[in-house]
Amino acid sequence: MNFALRIYLWLAEAFPHEFKLVYGTEVRQLGEDVVQEIAKQNGIGGLIRLIADIAVRVPLEYLSEMRRDLRYAVRALIKSPGFALVGIISLGLGMGVTTSQVSKMWAQMFRGLPAVANPQELVLPQNPVSYYYVEQYRAQKSLFAAVAAFQNGVPFNVAFQGDGKARPQRVFGQLVSPEYFSVLGVKPQRGRVLDPALDKPGDVPVVVITDRFWRNRLNSSPDALGQTLRLNGQPATIVGITPKDFKGAMPLAPTELFVPVTVPAALAPELANDVLHNRGAKAFLALMRMAPGVSIESAEAGLDSVTRRLDQQDLSNPRRNDKSRRVTLLPGGTVLPIPRALKPVVVAFVAALTGLVLTIACMNLANMLLARGAARRKELAIRLAVGASRFRLIRQMLTEGILIAMLGGISGFGLAYWFSILSSKIKLPQAVPEEFDNAIDWHALVFTFTLAIVCGIGFSLAPALQATKADVAPTLKEGAAIQLRGYRRFGMRNLLVVGQVAGSLMLLLMTGFLVMGINKMSNIQTKFDPNRMYLLSIDPVRDGYSPEKAVALFEKLPERLKAVSAVRSMALAAEAPFSIVGRTAQLSTAKSSGDASEKLTLVAKETVGAGYFATLSEPMLAGREFTERDQRMEAAADGSKTALPVVLNESAARRLFGNGTAVGKRVTEDQQSYDVVGVVSDLKNGIPDDDQPAAVVYLPLTRRDFASPPAGGMTILVRSDAGIDALGGVRREIASMDPNLAVFDVRTLAEYLQTSRAAMRLSLDMCGGIGLFGLVLAAIGLAGVTAYAVARRRKEIGIRMALGARKAQVLGLVLREGVALVTAGTILGFLGAMALVKTLSALTSVFSDAFQVSTSDPRLLLGAPLLLAGLAMLACYVPARRSMKIDPVKALRQE
Amino acid sequence: MSKSDPHNFLPLKTQWFHIMLCLAGGEQHGYGIMQEVLERSAGKVRLWPATLYGSLKRLIEAELIVESDERPAPELDDARRRYYRLTALGRRVLNAECDRLQELVRAIRLKQRLVTE
Repeated sequence: MNFALRIYLWLAEAFPHEFKLVYGTEVRQLGEDVVQEIAKQNGIGGLIRLIADIAVRVPLEYLSEMRRDLRYAVRALIKSPGFALVGIISLGLGMGVTTSQVSKMWAQMFRGLPAVANPQELVLPQNPVSYYYVEQYRAQKSLFAAVAAFQNGVPFNVAFQGDGKARPQRVFGQLVSPEYFSVLGVKPQRGRVLDPALDKPGDVPVVVITDRFWRNRLNSSPDALGQTLRLNGQPATIVGITPKDFKGAMPLAPTELFVPVTVPAALAPELANDVLHNRGAKAFLALMRMAPGVSIESAEAGLDSVTRRLDQQDLSNPRRNDKSRRVTLLPGGTVLPIPRALKPVVVAFVAALTGLVLTIACMNLANMLLARGAARRKELAIRLAVGASRFRLIRQMLTEGILIAMLGGISGFGLAYWFSILSSKIKLPQAVPEEFDNAIDWHALVFTFTLAIVCGIGFSLAPALQATKADVAPTLKEGAAIQLRGYRRFGMRNLLVVGQVAGSLMLLLMTGFLVMGINKMSNIQTKFDPNRMYLLSIDPVRDGYSPEKAVALFEKLPERLKAVSAVRSMALAAEAPFSIVGRTAQLSTAKSSGDASEKLTLVAKETVGAGYFATLSEPMLAGREFTERDQRMEAAADGSKTALPVVLNESAARRLFGNGTAVGKRVTEDQQSYDVVGVVSDLKNGIPDDDQPAAVVYLPLTRRDFASPPAGGMTILVRSDAGIDALGGVRREIASMDPNLAVFDVRTLAEYLQTSRAAMRLSLDMCGGIGLFGLVLAAIGLAGVTAYAVARRRKEIGIRMALGARKAQVLGLVLREGVALVTAGTILGFLGAMALVKTLSALTSVFSDAFQVSTSDPRLLLGAPLLLAGLAMLACYVPARRSMKIDPVKALRQE
Repeated sequence: MSKSDPHNFLPLKTQWFHIMLCLAGGEQHGYGIMQEVLERSAGKVRLWPATLYGSLKRLIEAELIVESDERPAPELDDARRRYYRLTALGRRVLNAECDRLQELVRAIRLKQRLVTE
């Protein structure tokens, strides 16, 4: 019983200060009075009720106090709407940008794949390997529980049963080994998924479709299972539908179909030339589930040694004695698998950028709250004097800060949502479209509001502490206009202003460097009017052509098209010019392995047809370009016998042969050797990318390319003379060759370049927008501080004017402080930006490329600080002018 | 919606009703209210101390009761205790609540008669 009373009294102490002030004694008293009686009447149960009752009431009292604080805060904000609006907008922008960046990063790099079991166990080697290697990997039972092979972004021309007339639709899917679904741990929504026990080579071809395919293309038909589709002209039976959210591994490329590798090559040209048994054909990605207890590091080390052993067994592999690391494992269970080493860099960059934005926004809020707190000193002093606890006052001011932050959070969340809608509409210029699923989910919501609360508390705590620190007596005596001690030296407000100026200059410079750098690099220059070139794609093999028939078509096509009157020149290419090329080759000048003079260089690989450079008006610097004779060559599977002709661009030639002549030399890539027949000047490629060296090797289109065209089909480049529409003629000519041949992705080069830069432009605009936003915030903050300083020094200014100070002198007095703060902030910000640029460039070449071009640009180096300083001075000047309007008589009479 | 309209407070919370019913007879302190409610309900309703003072605080905020300035005769007075009494508004609210409850009771009786017949 005594114990119960002790708990009761202890809990009674926990009531809020104000409640205790009024009822504390009585609550204690009553407890002491009734505890005996309760124990007698109700026993232990009664004592428990007694304690439970008070344990519930204590938090309730706090809640009701908070509710009152909130109501007070709402009223205070409504009374000064300007303050509230600026605070909410700046925080909203800051949090919106932060949320959208963080949620994007989270969705792509950290969230597990939907509908996949234990995605953190999945790994994916960075480079493709041959099917044979995948089978050998599968044998490593101690490392991997299950291993599958797949190819991503494989196009299929799909025709539906029943409508023979309709043109086939081009749908992207994956070519997977039957183990694929068991590796991912995905169960079918209907029917079955692929299974090594059921799907054997030589069986009737089957296909598993996604829920999206089922819904959009089959209208969720209940009899979809068992239905036969024509894929690339060949029949395949639908045996299963995957779960609703499942998008396959690496879902950046939209996947609607899963076709097993057991189907005949007629159905999937990717399987031609016996790739499943060709050890040199590195056509597949391995998807692996690590065995229980295996870490990604040990899996990587184990896989590396297995790969090394396999490479050594392969006598034709020139790199078989290479000591460097063979395998880098990526986390396979995320949307965007990136190397583990790169992850901290990306995270750090996002954190640095968003952190800066947020800090500037919060500093603004802190500054405004500080100013308000100082203006409310008298009110606060009175409340302290009549018995309010300091804690209570601080809590009330915190409530105000949190309220602003929450409202900012709501608007920020709305903004982030809008950004996500905006970015989902972006189309990247790739053969295989990418799909960004940046939907904002509840994680982002939690993130934003945690951020809001942290910001609210963090940045209203300091002002609240400072405002309630006042000595009651002098504040009450001297009134609200008391001069703060140390104001002109290192007061917190001054530090905040300096920090704000520095932060926004850093932001401005950083974003400026990026914007200017990328702009310069993406400046595509064509030597002709890009509106006069048309790009068209065809893919006869996926329209059901046999390889022989397709080759025949492509050999006939140039003649027929050149005969069209409006066509000035035309060429074939495996991809559109100036596109993002994913394929690279390691070229070597060695005649035999181990040659001392061997030079290795990584180059981008493009495959182009006869007359390509002439069509683009690119002159050959040396040698010749490809002719139709090159196009008729067979690229044999073991290519070492026949050397293919290649054209190097200037950079590649310089890297491999220095200043010597390249034409006539031989280069090798793995087993394949090439004869350099020509050198062409560098084409501006447009999109900066870490994986894209400026050096390019151009391979000729061969019969093998015609038999299995790349994912984007075969691109036809057609140039016409000004003022003539060549497109109609070209279409008619193709239709006259085969009316059933689907022509797709028809556009002018200008349109193509436009869309290819739209994504870049949007991100640049956003980057620039962030920089400008920081600038505006800093200006607002500075204007607020100056206005406030003027208001505070009314009396002082009044006295000075009464004693004969001229208006200009007074203005100078006020401005001097602003100038000092802005100068300090500018210098700090400049140094900070330089340090940040150095750090980021050191971390990754993505930034160093962009920064290199622009960090020495005087427009930015001088312009940005001047712009900021100018704006900042304007922000000082406008409110400072008010100091001149002070009437000394009125100012002095006020007291 | 005027604040002084008694119907805005109806139906009253049980604890509020019990407290106000006690104060209808005159001013009273917390302990007294607790005892009276206990006796009136034959030990069934106990206003636990923290709930009691929480309710008193809210009743004061709602302006249904006030702290009384008048103290009882010195020999009965306990100096440490605060006394409370109903305000005019409180009295009207209590009356309205009693009317509402009587309405209910009448309805129940009517129904019971129908059931028993």
